[in-house]
Amino acid sequence: MDSLVSGSSLPVDPSKLSDNDKKEIQQFVVNETQKARIQQSIHSLTDMCFRKCITSRISSGSLDRNEESCTQNCVDRYMDANHTILKKLEEMRTLG
Amino acid sequence: MSTFASSDPKTALMNQVRQEAAVQNARQLVEKLNEHCFERCIPKPGSSLSKGEETCFSQCMEKYMGAWNTVSRQYIGRIQKEAGSMGGTSL
Repeated sequence: MDSLVSGSSLPVDPSKLSDNDKKEIQQFVVNETQKARIQQSIHSLTDMCFRKCITSRISSGSLDRNEESCTQNCVDRYMDANHTILKKLEEMRTLG
Repeated sequence: MSTFASSDPKTALMNQVRQEAAVQNARQLVEKLNEHCFERCIPKPGSSLSKGEETCFSQCMEKYMGAWNTVSRQYIGRIQKEAGSMGGTSL
């Protein structure tokens, strides 16, 4: 893992890239950033939902039916909560 | 890491970005696995890892990764559905 970080200079001299390449890379970075953000949300949702849904003693390697549906609900309710907050804030903004 | 040696600088750059994202993702998963499974399986650390603790650990890891997959499916399905209903801002 250190080898990735230690040679931290990029393998590319930007002046050698064509305008088309630059454009393509720019789009690529936008996409990768969004992917990373989504992946980050998945990590923190899993963290939270595991805590809430996998509460009994661990005696098997797979999720049982309750754990599975609890985890699905956990994600959906979190998203609902998120929307509720945004809606409420929007209300406060237009009223205030 | 032979992928970095790609002669095309653009491809090399993209590969490096992908690679670093994957490393970051794996590192985070390992960290969470350790955090959760240590808490669940080793409430009272003894002088060595017992057989039972080891079994618990491997089941806990599988369970956590199962939960990760479930969350991932559910979350991505949900944001795709919402993006669709908001007039097609694609992911």
